[in-house]
Amino acid sequence: VSPGTLAPLLPVPVLVLLAGAALAPLAARLHRRLPAVVAVVAAVTATGLLLAFAPTVYGGRLLVDYLSGVLPVHGAALGIAFAADPFGLTYALVASGVGAVLAGYTLSELSGLGRRELGGYAALFLLLDGALVGSALTADVFNLFVWFEVAALASYALTGFFLERPVALEAAFKVLVLTTIAGFLVFVGTALLYSEHGQLNFGALHEALHHAAAHGHLPPVDRIALALLVAGFATKAGLAPFHGWLPDAHTAAPGPVSALFSGLMVNLGIVAIGRLVLQVYGPGTGIPVLGVLTVLGLVSALGGALLALVQDDLKRLLAYDTVSQLGVVAVGLATATTTGTAGTVWHLVNHAVFKSLLFLCAGAIVHLAGVERLSQMGGLARRRPLIAVAFLVGAASVAGIPPLGGYVSVGLIHQGLLDSGQPVVLALLVLAQVVTVAALARAAYLAFFARRGEPYGELGRLRPGMATGFGVLAALSVAAGVLAGPLLPRVAAPAAGWLLDSAGYARAVLAGGGHLGAPAVPFDWADPLELALFGVSLAGGLLLAVAAVRRPFAGRVAALLRPLRAVQTGSVNDYAGYLTAGVLVVAAALLL
Amino acid sequence: MIVVNYLAAAALFALGLFAVLSRRNLIKIVMGLSLMESSTYLLLISLAYRKGSTAPVLLGPPPGSSPERLAHGNVADPVLQNFCLTAVIIGVAITGVFLAVVVRTAQHYRSLDSDRIRELRR
Repeated sequence: VSPGTLAPLLPVPVLVLLAGAALAPLAARLHRRLPAVVAVVAAVTATGLLLAFAPTVYGGRLLVDYLSGVLPVHGAALGIAFAADPFGLTYALVASGVGAVLAGYTLSELSGLGRRELGGYAALFLLLDGALVGSALTADVFNLFVWFEVAALASYALTGFFLERPVALEAAFKVLVLTTIAGFLVFVGTALLYSEHGQLNFGALHEALHHAAAHGHLPPVDRIALALLVAGFATKAGLAPFHGWLPDAHTAAPGPVSALFSGLMVNLGIVAIGRLVLQVYGPGTGIPVLGVLTVLGLVSALGGALLALVQDDLKRLLAYDTVSQLGVVAVGLATATTTGTAGTVWHLVNHAVFKSLLFLCAGAIVHLAGVERLSQMGGLARRRPLIAVAFLVGAASVAGIPPLGGYVSVGLIHQGLLDSGQPVVLALLVLAQVVTVAALARAAYLAFFARRGEPYGELGRLRPGMATGFGVLAALSVAAGVLAGPLLPRVAAPAAGWLLDSAGYARAVLAGGGHLGAPAVPFDWADPLELALFGVSLAGGLLLAVAAVRRPFAGRVAALLRPLRAVQTGSVNDYAGYLTAGVLVVAAALLL
Repeated sequence: MIVVNYLAAAALFALGLFAVLSRRNLIKIVMGLSLMESSTYLLLISLAYRKGSTAPVLLGPPPGSSPERLAHGNVADPVLQNFCLTAVIIGVAITGVFLAVVVRTAQHYRSLDSDRIRELRR
């Protein structure tokens, strides 16, 4: 199929998901379970349509569609552009594909819901998924803000959806406050950019910014706009210190919703940051934003991992690990090297898969056994071996055990850090990885292998649909590693190429299409340094996990982490304060 | 560009943020956020202003003028005004969800104190 016929179809996957969102509540009138079927069908259809773009886009071609055919005139683009580059398409595919798996899983786990609940749930689910696909494909700053708000609105409702748990209300309020403030930041940042340059299109903005940078210093308003946009999207991505909402939202929601939030929604923030920092502003503007991203990433990676280490609530532990993993992604993005960026793209895919899997496992335990805390679990490996296997596959991918996906993506990010000459950052990232391995090993031990004093009162059966969800996601985790050889040069390398060639991307968006060859992304499974780092993090992590569980040391570890944990006060005022402080620090750093 | 409007917008934003950071009553937090929201509209409308400009209404031109002449003349920036319209609609939806959550919270906890509604911490 020629690019000319494919490009006008770019908005169709989003439309399919949004149409599904509108149809789902109506379908509930016909049959109770029909909304969930609508959700699965819409997500599978969207994935299929996106796959139709894949050969062209991964072949190095940028597909561009100006909605309603409002084309740019003399380099000024007023029409809204959708542009599929390999980076955006990868994220869109993950959002719709994993979304389909999660929708199918929901059909099984939450099928006991009533007619209206299931209709509303499916509508919100598809609305959020559609916004994620839209945000991945858009090439317009204001359109990005609109998708951000659509995703936010759906996430508010999903967090507070299961009102039988009062903590859901508390979590929903915190999500609302923090994400609303983030929305203001993105809104004002976008408006400042527009009023300075009169452009909203990514390509036109890039050219205007570079024109300004080439004629002397960029005006401070461009720096403030970038600070506001980075802070706003970092809130969505859950980077520290903007992360206050994330653990609460994940703790309160049921398993598939947590998986949707953690595996797919937080990526919206990091995808937007990647686009704005690498493609719109690009390397030529001389703003020290990569350094700021590295610092934010390191704080998140270390802080999230440490908070996860002694956490007793399993879902909250996984949520803190999400903060940590998104920190790793931010650090990888900030390397701005081909290997580092390719690793980032791959880690986003990996994280979507393994974190969804881990949250489904945690949600299944809560659903079947009715316990949320690790101290109440134990012995589940014998009672529910399938959940244990699925959890261990996910945890092994996080820990980077070859041949799973995590080894590949973290290895590439490490390589990118060496390429850009940042050994100290690399050392800190390995330290964060040690703590992450420890946190997950401790969780796996306490939930599945530790001895439980009393038998479980009531332990539900694992439904076939749930088992299928585990199977598909576990298989994807393994495939992301085993198939890395053929997939990296075809998916991650072209994505990194388009992300780093900001001038080429800008030209192609404005010209309505373009072509770029994929750079080489060397990856060696037997790289001695990477194997050594893996060995260090695994051995160190297991030792630390033993220390965090065994009696004489466990108290000391907990005491050491008490000051850090006291930061999570649970007060919405404090979290908004952290966010404000973060905005001020980011703005100050970018203005200097 | 109207400097006094920028200052007013900044003051309103800071006032709203102060309410969010310091008030523990959930309704007052929502009100603070509303204030912040309004301040962004004031900022955008002021950014859209051009000295001596007319409103960007191109339909029904005054006698002796045409839509083309109006568009080439001195009009306020319609794009930023459009942003505000979009944001107003989003804002209404969000305030609706916000107040629904506050009402359910009040029903359940019998309190609106953010300091007493913090089971989720650490």
